[in-house]
Amino acid sequence: MTQLLTIEDFTLGFRDRPPLLDSVSLHVNDGEAVALVGESGSGKSLTTRAALGLFPGGSEFSGTVAVQGLDTLTASKQRLMELRRGHASMIFQDPRAGINPVRTVGDFLTETLLRFDGLSRAEATERAVKQLEQVGLRRAKELMDQHPHQLSGGMLQRVMIAAALLNSPDLLLCDEPTTALDVTTQAGIVKLLREEQQSRGMGMLFITHDLNLAASLCERVYVLRRGRVVEQGGTQNVFLTPQQDYTRQLVEATPVIDVAGLEAPAAAGVPLLEVAGLSKTYQLPRGDVITALDNAAFTLPEGGSLGVVGESGSGKSTLARLVVALETATEGELTLRGVPRPRRALKASERKVLAKDVQIVFQDPYLSLDPRIPVGNAVADVFRLHQRQGRKQAKVSAAELLGRVGIGPERFDARPRALSGGQRQRVALAKALAARPRLLVLDEATSALDVSVQAQVLELVEELREQLGLTILFVTHDLAVVSRLCSQILVMHQGGIVEQGPTARILEDPGDEYTRNLIASRPRPLWDAEPVTA
Amino acid sequence: MVVMDQAQAPAPPRGPGKRAANRAAAFIAKKVLALIVTLLVASLAVFFSRFLVPGDPARFLLRGRSPKPEALEEITRQFGLDKPAWEQYLNWLGGILHGDWGRSLTYRQDVSDVLLGRLPTTLQLVALAAVFITVLGLFAGILASLNKGFSDRFILITLTAAGAVPPFVAAIALVALFSVGLGWFPSFGSGDGGWDRIWHLTLPALALGITYIAMVARVTRSSMNEQLLREHVEVATSRGLTRGSVVARHVLRNALGPILTVSGVLVAGLLVSSAIIERTFGLSGIGQLLVQSIDRLDFAVVQAIVMVVVAAFVLVNTVVDLIQPLIDPRIAAGTESR
Repeated sequence: MTQLLTIEDFTLGFRDRPPLLDSVSLHVNDGEAVALVGESGSGKSLTTRAALGLFPGGSEFSGTVAVQGLDTLTASKQRLMELRRGHASMIFQDPRAGINPVRTVGDFLTETLLRFDGLSRAEATERAVKQLEQVGLRRAKELMDQHPHQLSGGMLQRVMIAAALLNSPDLLLCDEPTTALDVTTQAGIVKLLREEQQSRGMGMLFITHDLNLAASLCERVYVLRRGRVVEQGGTQNVFLTPQQDYTRQLVEATPVIDVAGLEAPAAAGVPLLEVAGLSKTYQLPRGDVITALDNAAFTLPEGGSLGVVGESGSGKSTLARLVVALETATEGELTLRGVPRPRRALKASERKVLAKDVQIVFQDPYLSLDPRIPVGNAVADVFRLHQRQGRKQAKVSAAELLGRVGIGPERFDARPRALSGGQRQRVALAKALAARPRLLVLDEATSALDVSVQAQVLELVEELREQLGLTILFVTHDLAVVSRLCSQILVMHQGGIVEQGPTARILEDPGDEYTRNLIASRPRPLWDAEPVTA
Repeated sequence: MVVMDQAQAPAPPRGPGKRAANRAAAFIAKKVLALIVTLLVASLAVFFSRFLVPGDPARFLLRGRSPKPEALEEITRQFGLDKPAWEQYLNWLGGILHGDWGRSLTYRQDVSDVLLGRLPTTLQLVALAAVFITVLGLFAGILASLNKGFSDRFILITLTAAGAVPPFVAAIALVALFSVGLGWFPSFGSGDGGWDRIWHLTLPALALGITYIAMVARVTRSSMNEQLLREHVEVATSRGLTRGSVVARHVLRNALGPILTVSGVLVAGLLVSSAIIERTFGLSGIGQLLVQSIDRLDFAVVQAIVMVVVAAFVLVNTVVDLIQPLIDPRIAAGTESR
C-alpha cells in the first residue's frame, strides 16, 4: 500500500505567537479511512485544509504535507489547482454555508467541469445528474435547476458529496460533514460516505469531534489536542484501551446510552407543570399556516426531570419557549404551580413573577450573554432584581453562586469575550439559578460545547439539581445526553409528541417507529455489529 | 427500518412551476402598483406646493408693464388660474397622461417642447456619469477588497478625499487640469452628436460622479469583504477554481445586491445634482432650466421637471427592486438568509 497523504512535522502558526499546529505527523494510505479526532481549537481543520494547500492568510509553516508525492507547502498555484480539481476533494461542515446560495445546484456541480475539463454543457449536466443519482437523490434533473434554499440540509450535504466525487478523487477530506445535520440524516450521510469510500477504494480523512462517529466510519484514528497528535492507532484499540490521559477523558466524556445505569423514576410528586392540548401555529404572510406545536400534553412533577427529544423542526424549542412565556400558545392550557397561563403576551409585572419560578438557558452562550457586562455584575443584577438584595449583598451572593458553578473570583470582572464556551455556559447557568427558579429549562444547553465541557456542564446540572431540588426540562436532539440527566423522556416529531414515558422504557422498548429510527440512527462502532441498545 | 432522510422524502413544495410563476407575477404587480401610488402621491405634493410659494405667476409675467386689470384677467384665464385648485390639478394630471404638460409662462411654448429640447443633454450627462460611477466605483472597490494592506488603505483614503470635494470645485479642478492645462477635453458646450458629444460630456460627467464613485467603491469593498469570509468561497477555492473565477462567480456575484441598491439610489439622484455642473460647463440641460424657472415663477416648467425627476427616481428604484430577486433567489422566496 502506498501512502496517499503524508504529513510530517507539519508546524503552522502566526509570527510571535505559539504555533497552532506543532509538528503534526500523520498519513493516510490508499483506500483507508482515517479519523482525526479533537475538540474545537485542536487544529483539525487547519491540518486537513493544508492537504489542499489552503492556509490561513499571513501564517508561517514548515514541514511536509504531501498528497501523492506533491508537497502542497511548496507546490505552484497551478499544480495545487490541478490537485484540487482531480485528486483530492473536501466536504465541508455546513452545506448551507458551503454552497453559494445565489447559484443553482447544477451550476455548483458543473462549474469545474465546464471550465477546466472542457466538457460541453450537456455532457457536464449529464455527468452531474448521474452523480446526484448515485448519492441517493431522486429527481436529480429537477434538482439541477433549483437553488440551495429549496433543499433540506441532508439533501444539500448529498449535493456537496456529489460535487466532491465528480472527478473521482483519490483522497476525500471530510470536515465534520454531519455536525450541522439531524441524527437520522447524519446516519444516511455516514452510510453513503462509507459505501462510496469502500467501493471506490478512496483514501479518506474524516475530521470529527464525535468519537462514536469516528468509530462507526474509520479503521484508524489520530487524536489531536492543541495542535499536537497525542495518540494514534486502530480505532478499536484507541477507544477501548486509551493510553493517554486526554484520550481517556475524551472517551469517558462522550455520552453513551447506558440503560443499565438508569435510575428508576421517582414516584410522581405534586405536578409543577401541567400542559394539555397545547398548540402553536404561525400564520405566514402568504396565507399558509405552520403548525409548530400540535396538541401537546404532559405533566412534570415537582423535582422531576423531563427530556424533550426531537430533530430540528420537531417543535421542541417552541415548547420550551411556550413554557417560559417567550411565545403565546394558540390553543391549550399551560398550568404552572396551579396557576393557569393567560393566553396573551404577559405584562412586565407578570413576567417578573413568572421569572422567579421558571428560568431558561439557551444553546449558544456566545449569544445569550451581554458582551458589555462583566459576568459578576450580570449574575449580581439577577439577585438584585429577583431577591431584592442590595448592591453589596448581591455581589456576595453572585460570588458564592459563581463559585459553585466553578467560576473563580478572579473572573468576576471579566467580560464574556474573555471566557471560554464552557465558562460562558456556566455563567448563563448561574444567571438562571440566581433567580432561584423551581423549573429550569435547558434548550440545547450543551449542544454547542465540546464533549469534555459538555460532560462538565451536565455533571454540574445534575449536582445542582440534587442540592437545590430543581425541576428540569431538558430540550435536546441527543438521546444519550437526555438518558444521563432525565428520568422521563418525551419524543417529538413534526410538531407532535409521538411517545412519552420513563427513560429506560423508551430506550429499551420504543413503542413508536420514529423513536426506533432515532435510536437506530446513533452511530455504532465498526467492530460492534450489535446495536448498542439491543 | 434503516435510515431514511430527506433524500427519499417527497418533492419540496417550492418547485419551479405554476406556483413560482404566480408568485413572480404577484411580486411584479405589487411593485408596479407601489410605483403608481408613489407617483400619484408625488404629483399631489408637486402640484399643491405651488400654492405655498408666494407670488402670483400672472403678475410676474407682466412685470415691468402697467398691470391692467383686463390683461391680468386675460392671462389668468388663459392659463386656467381662475379655476378651483382641485380642478386645476385634475386638468394638469389629465394633460400629463396625454403628454400635455401645460404652457410655459416665460417661453410661451408648450412645456413638453421646452423639456424635450433640454432633457437629452441632461440624460446623456447622467448616463455617462452613471457609467463612470459604476465602472470606476466597482473597479476601485474590487481592487481595494482584493489587495489588503497598503493599496486598500491608499484607495480608501484617496476616495474619501475625492468624495469630500464639492462637485463645482471638482469641475473647476478638472477644467484647470484637462482643458486649460493639457487641452485634452473642451471646457464648454455639449458638442454635436456621437463621439463629439461624449468627448464634450466627459469632464462634466466626471465632476458630477466623483462623490458617488467613492460611495459605490466603499459599498463594493465592504460587501465583497463580507463575502470573502463566507464558507462557500473557500469551498469554491477548494474545488480548484482559479482566483479570478472565484472572485467573479462567487464573491462579486454575491456582493452585487447592496452595490446595486446603492448605485440605483445614487444614479437616480444625479438628475437633481446636475444643475450645478450644467451651469459650470455651460450645458443647457434641465438642471439649469429648473433653477431659471424657479427664479421666474414658471410653475408649469418647475412642476414638469420635478415630476420627471421624481418619476425617474422611483422608476430606477423599482427596477432595482425587480432585479434583486434575480440576483438573489432567496429574496423572491421570502427566506432571505438564515
